[in-house]
Amino acid sequence: MSKFADIQIDPAIVEKAARGDKKAHEILYRAFAGPVYSVGLRFTRVPAHAEDLLQETFIEVMRSISKFRGSAPVGAWIRRIAISKALMFLRSAWHAKGQSMDDDWEEVIKPQSSISQGSQRQEQAMDLEAALAALPPISRAVVWLHDVEGYTHREIAALMGKSESFSKSQLSRAYQRLRPLLHTELERQDAKSLSGSPVLKNC
Amino acid sequence: MSCSLSVEERDLLQKHLGDLEDTMPPRYVWHRIEEQAHAEGLFKRSIGVHVKWLAGLGTAAALFLAVINFSTVKMTVDQESQYQTKTTVLDETDGANSNQNLNSLMVQSRAIERNLRILPAQPKIVRVGTAVTITEIEDRIAEVDYYLNNSEVDLESPEAEIYWRERVRLMNSLLDVRSAQLQQVVFDQR
Repeated sequence: MSKFADIQIDPAIVEKAARGDKKAHEILYRAFAGPVYSVGLRFTRVPAHAEDLLQETFIEVMRSISKFRGSAPVGAWIRRIAISKALMFLRSAWHAKGQSMDDDWEEVIKPQSSISQGSQRQEQAMDLEAALAALPPISRAVVWLHDVEGYTHREIAALMGKSESFSKSQLSRAYQRLRPLLHTELERQDAKSLSGSPVLKNC
Repeated sequence: MSCSLSVEERDLLQKHLGDLEDTMPPRYVWHRIEEQAHAEGLFKRSIGVHVKWLAGLGTAAALFLAVINFSTVKMTVDQESQYQTKTTVLDETDGANSNQNLNSLMVQSRAIERNLRILPAQPKIVRVGTAVTITEIEDRIAEVDYYLNNSEVDLESPEAEIYWRERVRLMNSLLDVRSAQLQQVVFDQR
């Protein structure tokens, strides 16, 4: 579960925060600002939007922490709020443009020819940040939720208000885009041939 | 269209995504959050807690002082009452000691005056009934004082003793009312 799971918070801090203690909230912010901001940045790619999402997330944390029962780690709870806010932002951005979330692949810049050209591939460093950045926002969010945060397609579909097949479709198209980069990296690492390795049936 | 990644590709993707470093937000974001939280009243005001403590401490101190003053006053009044009781007994048993009685009444009167002076000043908000009572008693004390200060009154006459006795009684009443008033204020503050 990304960086959220690695952060341990003393329950006493959470209790103090629930009582409205400013110092406790600041401790929570210092601990989780990086992961929350990074989620916002990876989903939106725009620092100003990521800052807004960070602010919205922590204001929501402050409003709701008194209802947090501690059944799950506080990091998982904050992560859920952050992701929910980020997806809400993506949905509203798409709605504002009068488009469906399914259309976003039409706006994506065509893959650079350099990616498909072997000679240049060898020179290209594995830059997944850049590769992710080249994906449409919804697909980027699906990749992140699926492969980093460990969400299932069902959970992603529920979060996005879409069907499971929508989530699978977005992930499939993202993989298709990322595959050349991954392939190149594996070649660089002198990994065994892709043709010989088993292929995941369900993505 | 193949949507699949090989196991290696998938592992590599997850490893790289997992290894991506978090980006820290600019410092000013916390200040924005802080401002909004203050505006929405999401922080408990820690300074308010201190003020509450100080207010509590102040009230406790005031209460303590009031109790001490009240105890002192009551003790004095009790002592005076004992003294007065003794005087009454003397009056009843021995009319020849009238001068002594007069002196003792004067002493009592001065003691009560002293006790009245050490009482805290009257509160700004006073019950109407209490204020009227205090004013009435003070007016009657002023009348008595007028007679006692009259040069035609013989200070050693039985009449003077009556006035002094009345003065002591009125002063005691005033002390009681003022003490009760103070006690009421303390309880109202609680």
